[in-house]
Amino acid sequence: MFNYIVRRILSMIPLLILISILSFTVIKLQPGEFGSQYFNNPRVSPETVIQLRKRLGLDQPAYRQYLKWVKGIITEGDFGYSFAYKRPVAELIWERMGWTVTVASATMLFTWLLAIPIGIYSATHKYSFLDYIFTFIGFIGISIPNFFLALVLMYLVLAQGGTAVGGLFSNEYIGAPWSWAKLLDLLKHIWIPLIAIGTAGMAGLIRQMRGNLLDVLGRQYVQTARAKGLKERVVIYKHAVRNAINPLISMLGMQLPQLISGTIISAIVLNLPTMGPFFYDALINQDQYLVMTFLMFSAIMMLVGNLIADLLLAWVDPRIRYD
Amino acid sequence: MKRLVLTILTLTLLFSLAGYITAEGLEKKTVSPEIINEIGQYGGKYTLALTSAPQSFNYYGAIDWNIFVIMGNVLDSLTDENPVTKEVEPSLAKSWQVSKDGTVVTLNLRKGVKWSDGHPFTADDVIFTFNHLTLNPHAEANEVNRYQIAGEMVRFEKKDDYTVEAILPAPYGPFIKILAQAPITPKHKLEKYLDPDNPGAINQAWSTGTDLKDIVGTGPFMLKEYITDQKVVLERNPHSWLYDSAGNQLPYLDQLVYLIVKNNEVALAKLQAGEIDQLQIKGKDFTTLKKAELAGASFRVLTGSPVNPTPSPTHLSFNFDVENEALREAFRNLKFRQAMDHLIDRDRIIEEVYNTLAIKSGMPVVPTNKAFYNPEIEKLRREFSLEKASQLLDQLGYLDTDNDGIRELKDGSDFEFNLMTAVNLQDRVDIASLLKDNLEAVGIKVNLNLIKSGLVFDKALAGEFEAMIMAFGNQSDPQFRKAIWQPGRALYYWHLSTMSEDKKPILQNMYPWELEVFNKFEQGQVTMDPVKRKAYYDDWQRIYAEKLPVIFITKGMDLYVVQNNIGNYFLNDDNIIVRVTDTIFKK
Repeated sequence: MFNYIVRRILSMIPLLILISILSFTVIKLQPGEFGSQYFNNPRVSPETVIQLRKRLGLDQPAYRQYLKWVKGIITEGDFGYSFAYKRPVAELIWERMGWTVTVASATMLFTWLLAIPIGIYSATHKYSFLDYIFTFIGFIGISIPNFFLALVLMYLVLAQGGTAVGGLFSNEYIGAPWSWAKLLDLLKHIWIPLIAIGTAGMAGLIRQMRGNLLDVLGRQYVQTARAKGLKERVVIYKHAVRNAINPLISMLGMQLPQLISGTIISAIVLNLPTMGPFFYDALINQDQYLVMTFLMFSAIMMLVGNLIADLLLAWVDPRIRYD
Repeated sequence: MKRLVLTILTLTLLFSLAGYITAEGLEKKTVSPEIINEIGQYGGKYTLALTSAPQSFNYYGAIDWNIFVIMGNVLDSLTDENPVTKEVEPSLAKSWQVSKDGTVVTLNLRKGVKWSDGHPFTADDVIFTFNHLTLNPHAEANEVNRYQIAGEMVRFEKKDDYTVEAILPAPYGPFIKILAQAPITPKHKLEKYLDPDNPGAINQAWSTGTDLKDIVGTGPFMLKEYITDQKVVLERNPHSWLYDSAGNQLPYLDQLVYLIVKNNEVALAKLQAGEIDQLQIKGKDFTTLKKAELAGASFRVLTGSPVNPTPSPTHLSFNFDVENEALREAFRNLKFRQAMDHLIDRDRIIEEVYNTLAIKSGMPVVPTNKAFYNPEIEKLRREFSLEKASQLLDQLGYLDTDNDGIRELKDGSDFEFNLMTAVNLQDRVDIASLLKDNLEAVGIKVNLNLIKSGLVFDKALAGEFEAMIMAFGNQSDPQFRKAIWQPGRALYYWHLSTMSEDKKPILQNMYPWELEVFNKFEQGQVTMDPVKRKAYYDDWQRIYAEKLPVIFITKGMDLYVVQNNIGNYFLNDDNIIVRVTDTIFKK
């Protein structure tokens, strides 16, 4: 097992290099660069922009810029400076990590905790009234864009005379020390992002869970279990669900990068202090090292997520062995 | 010259009276009556929205509007531009004298002023700021180009702790005014960031990761708290040297809070929920909010005459250097551009694009700018008329010879061009489509070319366009925008052949009227007498209105919404919205 993990981790290195080259190429293929935005600004002379480009090394060929960045990482563990913020990129990302991970994990928890039981219920009560209702709600969740749902929810809250819209806290609790009142305020705000972002993923999960379980329930070993006279509860939870849930575990691994990069538009619409809008700005401004670091981080999360999913799979399913 | 000396003497006298000395030796400043409607009361928190997080707190370290907004409350400049009249007022410099030849300006600093940490403010701070920030070409938001006169830099010299001399290479008309845009920073806090091996190191000072206690200013507010991407809190500076006419120390407010709200709809929601006290709004949101106001909402909507650089006034330009020879011939012809001016239906644009909330003058100088606006240009503006445009085009010989509904150029091809504008700026896109209809009505085919706004500039400066709807923000002094409006300069993008490879003007490539404009700007720059300067810039505006190097379209009005319990936030007699954080208070 240990050998397997080491092998997997080593194989990530060439993959990451390839991803970084590809990302950098795409960034450089965009017309314009970091300096372009400043021509619009009455405070900035064109000479300043030219000097700025020179100081940031943007006048050098793209491959030199890339190699400079890679060299920094390898020799000093330095992921470069943000052009806009004049601070180390890693520091900037770290600052925003807390809320990003919190919101994303809360959303994932919300999605999974609801989706799995609903999926099981739908499968065991196939074509029942509630099954149809869940399916209907699920499809609405899939088909309405997250950011639109967010806007609708905010509108509804405002129309009802509520004030808790946008952001995670009311003004007075932003930056205030933790207290029960602050927690309550957070709960008043966080349900909108949870629903707006969570529903889209939920419908997919419900359908997956329902489909897999139905598949398994039709298998012969389930029939055998029932024939042995096992209780229906034991048949479903011990035998069927355990097998049906395997594909979902691989999906869980894939969701790891979403912890930091998912749902950019919704986060902008909802004014969340997460990484998404920050990354979006960096992308628009072509703050290239910030974008690169962010993309690499995302890629690592993806690869690690996959590895974890595979390991989890081996753990829940004794039939799977990697050696 | 005599009159000039006299004016300066009177001004000096007036200004020295304005600042009176207190027991502690502080020469206070009483704020100008224009920004006060009533004497306020102390206390309260005033919350505004900021469209994105500040990139730094170093005014000279990054080119970022948010830093400009926030630090405007924390730092002071030597002089100040009155937010209402746009006239120059004393600030950290309580008075100044200009030498007879106009090349030495003596600035007398206000005594007794302290930084918000209690450290005294002196001439050393001024010299430090100019040497290491304002005039440091490696500081990212430096102001080098403003202080470069006839190719040489202005020098600042300390005479004593409270006197600084500025030595100008040549007389420079807007000098006192440019000082208003150079905030003075504390030497005792910023010195440690200097690195003799890396002149750009100063850009990393006062980044968003800095301990806010280290960021001090002389302004009415100081930084208290920054919650990444969520809010910036400023609190009253106990050492503020601003006073109202009743002798109360300003500001009235305890706290100034900038909430970071990226999305326009969320900002509107927060305003309606009462979480934000004031907001600049767009024309499209006007109707909804006005209705809410009339239905008894807790806020009011104010529409004021434009005074600010933004919303930037739009203009239509034609590339004088376009590659297609037949098009180039047309674009360079004054009659053609006059025909185009006749095709701009400003009334309809104001009505449909701006919801009636715009004015016709899209000139670089706004009509409220008493110091420079030339009202004569209003008479020169051509009215909307498809017939007149058609006649002019007929006279030029652009006729529809093959009867396909499109006029032919001199080389026999269809009269057709690309009109480029920024896809993410709705007003420009709307104007472009209205214009396209009118052009097609007189037999000229237009292809709209909509691209990202940042790229529009790149395209303009590379001369890679045929026609364009563009906009540049207004400034209070034309000199500040000479890079755009003076032929032969870097941003005179519609006629780039007036500039050489090494960015020098080429006089022989200019039309006679362009040469005249060029000279007016040169003269306006080296003249210290405000009356003469106005005459030069009046001529410039007239020539532009007659010769149409670009065709100005409209300028959006100032639109703000404010909660009813905010005091000293009002529409004055000249229809200008007055909203200065120094005097605003909460009722």
